[in-house]
Amino acid sequence: MTMDAAAPHCLLGMFDEDYTLDDYKGAEPRWCVGCGDSAILAAVQRLCRDEQLAPEKTVFVSGIGCSSRFPHYMHTYGFHGLHGRALPVAEGIKLQRPDLHVFVITGDGDCCSIGTAHWIHAIRYNMDMTVLVLDNGIYGLTKNQASPTSPLGLKSNTTPQGTVLEPINPISVTLGIRNASFVAQAVDWIPELVHDIVDAAFQHKGLSFVRVLQRCPEYLDGRYDAWVKDPGKMLLLNHENGIQTSPALASVYKNHEIHDPADRNRAREIASTSDPIPVGVLYRNQSIPCYENPRGPDRLYTPDVVKGVLEKELDRFTIQAVGGGGD
Amino acid sequence: MDKSLSALTAFHITGERLAGELDDVGRLDLRPALFGAYRDLSKLRHDFPLVLVNGDAGGGFVRSLSGVVDEILSDIAPHGIAGERLRQHVLKLEQEARSLAAGGEARSLGEIWDDAGRRLTAKTDAAALPQLEESLAQAREGLRFDGETVACDGELPVKFVTHAWTLDKRQRTQRLRDKLDDLTLTLSNILHTDVDNVEEAQGAEKLKRSMGKALEDEFDFDAMSRLLRTAPTGETLPEARRRRLNSVLTVFKSQRFLPPAENSRKRGRRKEPYGFVFDSCEEVLEAIQKRRPEMAKLVKAVAIAELEVANRYDESKHDQFFSHFSHHHLHVEDFALFPPYLVRLHGDSAVAAERTALWQVLSSGLPIKVLVQYDDVLGGDMLGPERLTANIKGPQLAAMALGLGNVFVVQTSSAYLFRLRDSIATGLASDGPALFSLFSGAPPGNAAASNNSPNVAPYLKAAAATESRAFPGYVHDPEAGGDWASRFHLETNSQPDADWPMRDFHYQDAGLQRNATETAFTFIDFVACDRRYANRFARVPQSSWHDGMIPVKEFLDLDAESAASKVPYIWMIDERDALCRAIVEDSLVSAARQCRDMWHSLQELAGINNSHAQALLAGEREIWQKEKEQELEALRGQLEAAAAAPAAPSAAPVAETPGAAAVETPSAAPAEVPDEAVEAGPVEEPYIETPRCTTCNECTELNDRMFAYNDEMQAYILDPDAGSYRQMVEAAEACQVAIIHPGKPRNSTETGLSDLEARAADFN
Repeated sequence: MTMDAAAPHCLLGMFDEDYTLDDYKGAEPRWCVGCGDSAILAAVQRLCRDEQLAPEKTVFVSGIGCSSRFPHYMHTYGFHGLHGRALPVAEGIKLQRPDLHVFVITGDGDCCSIGTAHWIHAIRYNMDMTVLVLDNGIYGLTKNQASPTSPLGLKSNTTPQGTVLEPINPISVTLGIRNASFVAQAVDWIPELVHDIVDAAFQHKGLSFVRVLQRCPEYLDGRYDAWVKDPGKMLLLNHENGIQTSPALASVYKNHEIHDPADRNRAREIASTSDPIPVGVLYRNQSIPCYENPRGPDRLYTPDVVKGVLEKELDRFTIQAVGGGGD
Repeated sequence: MDKSLSALTAFHITGERLAGELDDVGRLDLRPALFGAYRDLSKLRHDFPLVLVNGDAGGGFVRSLSGVVDEILSDIAPHGIAGERLRQHVLKLEQEARSLAAGGEARSLGEIWDDAGRRLTAKTDAAALPQLEESLAQAREGLRFDGETVACDGELPVKFVTHAWTLDKRQRTQRLRDKLDDLTLTLSNILHTDVDNVEEAQGAEKLKRSMGKALEDEFDFDAMSRLLRTAPTGETLPEARRRRLNSVLTVFKSQRFLPPAENSRKRGRRKEPYGFVFDSCEEVLEAIQKRRPEMAKLVKAVAIAELEVANRYDESKHDQFFSHFSHHHLHVEDFALFPPYLVRLHGDSAVAAERTALWQVLSSGLPIKVLVQYDDVLGGDMLGPERLTANIKGPQLAAMALGLGNVFVVQTSSAYLFRLRDSIATGLASDGPALFSLFSGAPPGNAAASNNSPNVAPYLKAAAATESRAFPGYVHDPEAGGDWASRFHLETNSQPDADWPMRDFHYQDAGLQRNATETAFTFIDFVACDRRYANRFARVPQSSWHDGMIPVKEFLDLDAESAASKVPYIWMIDERDALCRAIVEDSLVSAARQCRDMWHSLQELAGINNSHAQALLAGEREIWQKEKEQELEALRGQLEAAAAAPAAPSAAPVAETPGAAAVETPSAAPAEVPDEAVEAGPVEEPYIETPRCTTCNECTELNDRMFAYNDEMQAYILDPDAGSYRQMVEAAEACQVAIIHPGKPRNSTETGLSDLEARAADFN
């Protein structure tokens, strides 16, 4: 028993409940049949069960898009917010309730287009939360418009002649931000690794940024077929400080690299490759301070103290009646 | 026995000086010969003085002056002539600072540094002054921390351990304060949230007051209040919970285990916080006994607060438990929440007076850190009621504490304290009891009058105690592992594998020729530093040297019969560094043997020359030798038999025998067929590679009686007969990651099977 578990606390642990997967299942998912989001949902629910996260101490925050329906499907607290504003909402929650486990579910459009400014600054703040970017490379909810990560030449409702811009690479961008402390990439068609990577992200103290490449069978069908069908086109990153592939998985996916997540330069090189697709923890740095810690107050601001300070401050501007027998 | 040896032997056995030339060592002011190189320690670059670093400046809680200077030089001194000049200047400054620090006055490093700079400047020629001042200014800029400097004297152990303890306590206190602050804030928020929900907060008067006088005519507060009352509000905080939260907050506020926060405005009204440093074991036990009810209250309050914050407090379960919780239920591990205690005992007499309480403290398992400082290892004169051998008391306490098993033990002398700083910090940070048994080397009470070694500096004497195994250094960390190899370390001693450390020794002979030899530093060399035992040594003039005189180390290795015709001696020097031999009385030799036996016990604990291992090894070696001898015998027998037998047909080709040929027949070939070939072939039964399932619902949407999800939300075949083979094949085709293998049809009457089987072939 350590300092964090006093005797009565330990004894009372006996009364704790044991959460099962069903305890984290919310509404029936309305994603298309074959959508990669389902694999990520299942992996996250497994993580919650494995870590025995109390549903009432866990919150999922999302913006707008297919993936952002995620909080509806979790039986935890959730906030389905404005387009691109999942991160600032999550930051507010973390500041006020640092005891909560905060997950942010965002998509390639939500994060890398309208929410870009929040994304950059959330990485800088490095608040302790797990951010999953479910990147299917298309706006699916609004029926087929190109997103910042759509492949070059993609024909969509907004780009009938095909896109003319190179897609943005979210993990390269994140690695370019000075305070980035955890950057990883997963693919929805290897669910075991989705679970392991999200687990590593959850364990990390700081903002963990995980991009999950995800198939959209409706509007971008077949985009990843070559990689799904050929395990040799995947590059699994292994390291004792990152994730370690199970022997069963390693026998299928034989293309491995021992990559130390402390090596930021190599992480940048790996991030820039798209074939083979790298999967694993690219970068991790535990020493970067979290925003909620450095800005901690130097005294205890209980509601009563705050009230007292405010009243004292406002008293300075009170207009006193001059003369005239006031009481 | 010749006459000259008999006089020496007589002194060795009886202590009587029959021959007039056997001089009293005390009168001649002799010192062990190996001390010859250490006349003036201020000229010698060594660990001392130490700097007890203020705050967290990085680089540890204590630094050595020479380490600090080296670090500054590596930062500021470039390679080349300019850098060399700078290096020389700063090293001179270090020497001045070392001399100043040896004065014994407690001063900060910054003060001593500046003072040394001034002294150095005053001694320097005007021509060289600008360069010196430039070097000193650069070095001063590189000095980025400050702290008290301490010399190796009688105050060192207390200052050193107390400083390390203070830093550890500060961290623990901060952790507890952070914990209580977090809980207080959250509980206050819970209480405060409720205030907004009470009826009063929604009343017109309250709303009016909160808006201020300037705007009171602008709004209809009655209407506003009516509106607010119709709005749904959260649940009101039950009275029992409010009382519980308030009582927890009261406990947090009234506890005395933390000093008031620096910005606290109510400092004057609070009771004095508890102290954690004691000079007596009885006092610390009494204090803990008195504080236990309050500790239990705080432990209980923290537990309740944590449950409340986690929203797990269940009155039906927890009320009864907490109503019965008292200081009787406190567990040893609950003490980790509180600052640790430090007890400082000085000298063997203090230990003797507190023996019972001391053992109670050490065996309690509580985080009480005990510092025992010894100024005298050897104790009183051996002619007293106790023999010298019984008087080597210093190391006994720590050795006994080892037997308790769960005590963190550090034993060392002041000279080695800096090298063991990490172990001291680990012992202080551990959650259990710790004993720091330290020998200062200084005269008892730091008084010159009580100095038994006036011509030996405390640093040297402390080093000699450890070097001679009289006060060996070691660390026992009960949390480092489950065996002695992980928990116990002797590395702090010189040459831990040997009985006595061997040192190179250089001297000039009567012909002024340089000679080199190797000499051991034994327990008897250490005793020779102490003038109380000077009469147990006798200087033998060179004219009386005899072949029967042998070094103490060799004498100790002899059996009783061989030793009978020998007289042991040690090398000593006088104040002019003239070398001489001093023979030793037998009682000291007995004490040295006992010291060596104690050292052997420690070696065995550390896995050096372990008697059990050696016995086992000897047994195994004997068995192995017997086996090899038997094998050799057998081989010899075969060779002899072969030599005696008639010459056999030369190397009959075994492969040509019918039996051997059969081995190579094709019938053995199937065994070499690769496993893959065996496993290849069409799959009969349908299956899913469940761990690779991405939960995409394709198959379950097709037929949820045939396909289902397991506890991990991954698909498996629930019932292959719950649908048609067509559905099975279509599911395989639809699967995004192609992990469904349809196998062979189970119902041969199904229509279109040949076409389906062809489609299924891609997935089997």
